[in-house]
Order: sequence, then structure tokens, then C-alpha cells
Amino acid sequence: MNDTAIVTDSVKRFKWVGTRPIRPDGIPKVTGRAQYGADLKLPGMIYGKILRSPHAHARIISIDTSAAEKLPGVKAVMTAADLPVQKFDYIGPERVAVNFWHVTRNIMAREKVYYEGHAVAAVAAISNSIAEEACALIKVEYEVLPHVIDVDEAMADDAPLLFEDMITRGIEPAPTKPSNISKKLSFAMGDVDKGFAESDVVIEHEFKTAAVHQAYIEPHACVAKYEADGQCEIWSSSQGHFQMRALTAQIMGKALGDLRVTPAEIGGGFGGKTVAYLEPVAATLSKKSGLPVRVTMSREETFRASGPTSGSSMWVKVGVKNDGTIMAADGIFKFQAGAFPGSPVMNACLCAYAPYDIPNQRAVGWDVVSNRPKAAAYRAPGSPISAFAMESVLDMCAKKIGMDPLAIRHKNACRIGTPTLSGPKHAHAGYIETVEALQKHPAYQVKLGPNQGRGVASGYWFNGGGESSATIQVNADGTVLVATGSPDIGGSRASMAIMAAETLGVDYNVVRAIVADTASVGYTHVTGGSRVTFATGTAVVNATKTIVKTMIERAAMIWGVEPDAVIWEDGYAKPAGSNVGDFKPLSVKDIAGKAAATGGPITASAGVNAGGQAPGFATQFCDVEVDPETGHVKILRFVAAQDVGRAIHPSYVEGQIQGGIAQGVGWALSEEYIYNSKGLLDNAGFLDYRCPVASDLPMLDAVLVEVPNPTHPYGAKGVGEVCICPPMAAIANAIENAIGKRLTDLPMSPPKILAALSA
Amino acid sequence: MEPARVVFTSGFAARYTKGVREFEVQAKTMRDVIKAMDDMFPGLGFHLEEETTLAINGEYHETGIFQPVPPGAEVFFIPRIEGG
Repeated sequence: MNDTAIVTDSVKRFKWVGTRPIRPDGIPKVTGRAQYGADLKLPGMIYGKILRSPHAHARIISIDTSAAEKLPGVKAVMTAADLPVQKFDYIGPERVAVNFWHVTRNIMAREKVYYEGHAVAAVAAISNSIAEEACALIKVEYEVLPHVIDVDEAMADDAPLLFEDMITRGIEPAPTKPSNISKKLSFAMGDVDKGFAESDVVIEHEFKTAAVHQAYIEPHACVAKYEADGQCEIWSSSQGHFQMRALTAQIMGKALGDLRVTPAEIGGGFGGKTVAYLEPVAATLSKKSGLPVRVTMSREETFRASGPTSGSSMWVKVGVKNDGTIMAADGIFKFQAGAFPGSPVMNACLCAYAPYDIPNQRAVGWDVVSNRPKAAAYRAPGSPISAFAMESVLDMCAKKIGMDPLAIRHKNACRIGTPTLSGPKHAHAGYIETVEALQKHPAYQVKLGPNQGRGVASGYWFNGGGESSATIQVNADGTVLVATGSPDIGGSRASMAIMAAETLGVDYNVVRAIVADTASVGYTHVTGGSRVTFATGTAVVNATKTIVKTMIERAAMIWGVEPDAVIWEDGYAKPAGSNVGDFKPLSVKDIAGKAAATGGPITASAGVNAGGQAPGFATQFCDVEVDPETGHVKILRFVAAQDVGRAIHPSYVEGQIQGGIAQGVGWALSEEYIYNSKGLLDNAGFLDYRCPVASDLPMLDAVLVEVPNPTHPYGAKGVGEVCICPPMAAIANAIENAIGKRLTDLPMSPPKILAALSA
Repeated sequence: MEPARVVFTSGFAARYTKGVREFEVQAKTMRDVIKAMDDMFPGLGFHLEEETTLAINGEYHETGIFQPVPPGAEVFFIPRIEGG
């Protein structure tokens, strides 16, 4: 256990919640036996390969697949012509609206290619090498068009247009001229100009951030088997097999009931595996060939063709009183959406100031297309980007008025009832507690040496709820199966088993949690938005409560008494009182062993549309040392306090926080998509796209602050995302504290540090 | 019963409610809220269900018809995130 973890009463009040049992997925993973997306091999399976655009922007004049089709060993060739036309409309489940006119074009290009790596055609053959050879035989005639990569350049009047008919939404009256600006979003509360006029110190600055990839270790992969009767099975690595089913059905024009999707073990996602790239392609190739087809992306394809998160160009202005009161905040957030509309800029607008009680706020967001792969979700999408700008300016304000950076955050901390720019008032606490946890932390008092600096930042994320399902089965020997529809990317099998064991009152080790396929459990939305422990956990607890009710009814039948004469306590049915009779308590095993005699199998399912999720709050500080000769930034110490509601399995929660920080360090210091003058990605591999490795990081100190969420049975809050919001600003603030120079352009790589030092 | 206060963002109000952002409606559930708004602006119910997410007294929910609405609650409709 981490020495600085705040141990709450959860370990005293609960038997299993708050404990750290061995993870159920550990042995298959460390022995190499876990089945990931690329591991499945079916009899007769063939191999798919995708031909991708060599150009950043080009019109497709023609595609000739005849030579590829004639190559021996080739079983199927497809283009966008094999997929039905999609209507231009923003629709979709949950809180995400999707335009399938765009989605189908991202899966397979039609009129144009919009970025290097854009899929143009696909081949299935008896070997990978034949499929590659066939791809090379496909003749695509392009008319190469001017391209644009940078978001500010894409917004310019004379920028090359990706869509000649794109009229910016969100502006009244609507513009008459097309542009690359998909949408303008505006949010405001109070009187920002008055707030700045009443401020003693007003600071504004511009910022830029690079597009960064989620860099999951496992590239995208799937297998599809399309039968002659139109039924199709898909095995894929994703953050939501129901999502893959829905997207594939829509893209192929099929009914949901004709598709069955089984989740593979997943080697990381971080938001990037909520998107379908391969599944409709593999299913179409299987349909055309009549054989099972496996399609995998290489690492290079994963960088070039799957979504990174947006890069951005921002301006933020903050006004404060000399006593530290924030009077106003204003910001303009311009986000790269990639080749199709839909960046997370709305989140950026709504999260930037959310930790604070600021009477006057304004945020304007711009969603801008450019010749990059379509942006995909990445941990708290949008929030880390705007937090970098806001938390940097807030740090500048604190320095200007001579106030400790934690003290200014504490003074302005939001509370229950504080208005937000989204509109609703905060309904949950938890932010100020993270600030206070760091104020009390002994490491915050450690003196720093030459070239060393300390930086503080906070972050906010909505967290998610929504639709989830769970099914519980009690076996005849008293063991328990928990099936959910949530792919396990953050330890959900362990946490689901813990919550079921706690609710039923049985040993954690007799509960086995699995992720069931789309035909075996009810609809469950993606593992994303930090929603699973909250929403799917609620479904598991609800189903387990039904099991308890059934256990009571079966015990009553065995004893020949009424159910209300039986209570459930510590995993046993017991007489409710001495007047009921002298009955020996019955265990789950006792009752399950008589299931046939008392009415049949003991099983229960629950489906929820969970609302009332509490948001995530995080505050972090880090200490850095800057080498003035090389510009290298060394992370000396990183302490992260996060309100986690109640940690169901604290080790997994700490792991989420540490993972978010590690990715944030990469975002801050070294990761970026680098394009050449032709609009081609120059660093599509881990040698040149520099993620942090273990030697780059000290032990990351996760401080678990527990302010339970009353709307969850055990108080859980989402924990997987808000941890990545503060690191970039915390590191920038620490670098400024170390060298006296403010860096505003991510990544803060050694050349930029050296340039700042010599300026 | 104290009515619920229904609030839209300015952009949503500009599109669908002639710029009016706040309304008071009698409601026990979200079904009542959506029906009342649809009665005032025919067709609005579809847009609320398809294009918004929801906060009841600050608690976020997917926009549905099953959620209870406490007396005097603030019901805030927020645009759905755009995913592509």
C-alpha cells in the first residue's frame, strides 16, 4: 500500500470493498495466454489488409481493383462502394452525437482522402504477404490537393478546404462562405468585462498543444465471420463490444440482431478504442469471401489512421483580486477535429474553470477540421487541454499577487451549489478536499535545490453514467458468476466481483467476474467516461440484491416459513427472530445445492440507466529539475490527490492515477505528431514518438481522497480520467518555478527549454 | 406543488424556443417536463430526447422520461457531446 494513501473508514465498514485482492486477469496476462484481438485464429481464416492513402489530401479519380482480384490467393477486395450510403445527420446514443456520413468515410474513403493513412480499399487473402501484394496492385488515381495541418492555418480565410460545402454551425446568421470550421460553441455566465474591470491583476496568454496519441500497447485488431444466412460474429479488441456492434450494423446496413460481438482481452484503449475502424471492413471482407477474416493494424497504421486527441491553439485570460479572489475567466479554445468534425472542444470549454467558484466566465470553442486522422477520445477528452491553459494562467496570477498556488485554489474552490459554465450547479463535493490533502502532504514542504521547481495544477472531469447490464448466476456449489457487458480496461472484473461479494456476503474468491458477449448479457455502453464502476457496478449490486431476495425466498421454502421471517446476514439466511423457529443458518452453498428442489436455477439480471454520477476532481504537484545545458526536464517527485468517492479496489485506483500522470508527463514533455511539408506524419512509431518509460518517472504518489458519492451503492466515483488533466500545467508551472521562463507550447521538449533559457 | 425550473443553453434556446432560456413547468417526472415543453413548442420533445443530456438539481443523467423531478427542481438541458 502507498504510504501516503488516506485510509478511510471503508476498510472498517466493509469486508471486501476497499481491499486489494489479487486481480483475476493477472495469471493469463503474465503467462501470455490472454486472448487479445490478434490472437484468435478460426478454421479457414484468411487475412485482411488495408490500402491507405499516401497523400494528406487528394481527390479520388478512380480505383481499379481488377489486378488485385486476379492475384492467386486473393479471396475478396472491397472499397467504399461495398458499404451503403449514410445520411448526413448527427445522431447517436448517450451523450455523443455521431454523423455516419462522416463515420463511413473515415472507415473507407469515397470522394476524397483527407489524411495520410486514410483507408481506400481492402483485400483479404490466404496470407498476409499475398494481401499486401494485392494491395500494391490496386491502382488509385489521385488528384493531389493542397493540405492544411495546423489549426490556426486551417481557420484562415485562404486555407485549403476539406469540405467545399461546410458552413460553420453555431453562428447566427449562418456564414455564406464555407470554411474548415465545423462549429462554434459559446458559453457565458455573469459579466466577464465587469469582472476584469473589478480585478487587481489581469493576465492573459496564448497556448498551443500538440496532437498526441493514446499509445495503447495493443494495436487495433478483429476477426469477423459472416455466414451465408446473414448472421455475423465479430471478435474484437475494443472499449465497447455493444458499440462495435452498433457502429458495424449501421455502417453495413444490418440489424443489431444479426451481429454478435465478443470482446477480446484489451491491451489499452484510453478512449481510442471506442471507435470502429476495422470491424466493418473485416465483416465486409468475410461477407464477400465467405471465410473468416482477421484484420490487424500495425503500429504505424495505428498512429496514422486511428484517432489521436486534438491539438489546440488557445487563449485564456484570468482576473484576480489582490486577496486571490478570481473575478473573471475568459478563453478561446480552437481544437483540431482531424479530418471530420467532432473534437472534444465542448468539454474543454465546460471543464476549464469547473474546479472554481468564478462569478464571471466565458468560453468560446471552435471545432476545426484539417488533414489529420479524425480525433478520438483520450482520457477526459478536451479537459486536459484547456486545463493546461487555465491552470498555467492561474499560476501566473498567484505568482503576481504573491500567493501560494494551493492557497489560491483553496480560496476559490467550488462547493456544492457553485454555479458552473455548463449551467447546472455543482451537486457533489470533493475538490477542496484534494487541495487540502496536498497542503497537508509532507512532500509539499520539501525544500528544492538549484534549477529545481515545484508546480501545482487541478483538473475536473464530468464522469459518466448511463446504460449498463449485469447477470448473476449462483452455481450449485455456491460459487458465483458475475457477467457484465463492460470490457475490462481498468480492473472492472475485480471491482465487480468485490461489489457482488460484499452485497451477497460471500468470499471474494468464490465470485468470478467475466465480460460477456453481446448475445449473453444486456446492452452496456462503452467502457469510457469513467462510468463502469459507477454504472455497471450499480447494475451488479442491483442484480445481487435480487439474488439475495431469491435466497431468502428459497430458505423460507426450505424451512416452511414466510419470506419475511428470514433475514440475510453475512452470506447466510437466518431466522428473523427466535419465534420463527430453531433453524441452522443456510449458506449460499446450502441454498444453491437445493436450487432444483426449490424452483430451479438461481439467477438474476439487472439493467440500469445510471444517473447522478459524481464528477472527478484532482489536484497534483510535481517537482522538476531542469538541466540548463541540455534542456532536459527530470521529474523528481509527483504527488496526485484525487477524490475517488470510495476506492473499491485501491490498487487499481492508484494504478489509474499513476497511468494518467505517466501519460500526462509524455503529453507535457515529449509526445507530439510531427508532420513534414507534404502533410505526412514523420514519427509513426515508438522510436520517434517518445512516450515516457519507467526510467523517466519517479514513483508516482497517488493520494486517495474519499468523499463518497451517495448515488452509488458503495460511494464510488469514476477515477480513470481526471488524473490526466493537471499534469501538463503542473509540469509547466514547475519549469517556470525552476528557470523563471513560462513555456506555453506543448511538448516542452529540450529544444524549447533551451530556446526559452537563451531568450 | 412548486414548479420545476427548466433551463436551456442559449444556443439551444435560439434554435428551438425563440431565444427564451427559462421556463416553469409542473412536473413529477421527466416525462412531464418533456411533454410540457413539447406542448409549448411542438417537436421540441424529439430534440430534447435526441440532442441533449440532462442535469436535475446538478445531478447528471441521460435525457430520459423515467427520472423523477423533485418539487422546485432545476432541470438543465445541455447539448450532447459531438463524437464525430
